[in-house]
Amino acid sequence: MRKRKDHQASENEKPNLIGTFISVMLLGAFIIITWFGAYALFISR
Amino acid sequence: MHLHKFEKIWLVCGIGSLVVFLFIVGYGAFWQGTHPQSHGVTIDPYNIESNEAFKPENLGLTKVDDDKYIVNIAASAFNYDLGKDEEGNAVKTIRIPKGSTVLFQAATKDVVHGFHVAGTNVNMMVEPGYVSSLETVMDNAGTYTIVCNEYCGVGHHMMYATVEVYE
Ligand SMILES: [Cu+2]
Repeated sequence: MRKRKDHQASENEKPNLIGTFISVMLLGAFIIITWFGAYALFISR
Repeated sequence: MHLHKFEKIWLVCGIGSLVVFLFIVGYGAFWQGTHPQSHGVTIDPYNIESNEAFKPENLGLTKVDDDKYIVNIAASAFNYDLGKDEEGNAVKTIRIPKGSTVLFQAATKDVVHGFHVAGTNVNMMVEPGYVSSLETVMDNAGTYTIVCNEYCGVGHHMMYATVEVYE
């Protein structure tokens, strides 16, 4: 009985996604930087 | 369905960049005419001399106008035929003044070869039955090696020539 109560409480809590969010944004920034790097190489050559 | 606020942000970024990249690809293809280098121009691979550009006397560098050049290349295992000089020796180095517009036209007599002027954007596949061509402006002086970047057999690594862009 008590166990079930705990489970419900954790479901109503918002998950903490700040770490995931930062990782996703860093990956996105890396992809954009490399894309512009390749584009700059293409333009300069 | 409930989405976390952060999830909404990264989904919008991801789908947005997909739309942006697809638009860039579409712009390049439909407005700027970017396409593979074979252009769909066909040639008889057993008789590439039947095409005016690949007759032995037309191979190599030809000046067509001020600052405008054509380079015709007959690729075969394991050589780039760039014609012959006055003494009858095979040309291995091509010299082009900086700032020239150069049209490279290549065809192969046998298997698939590559044609890459390393360090520039001139990079083509040369497929049997097709004429590969690419026009570029040689804006940077230097010595560039033409390499075959499609494995074509045991002598693949010996397949090279040189382009010199001088001031
Ligand atoms: Cu090769």
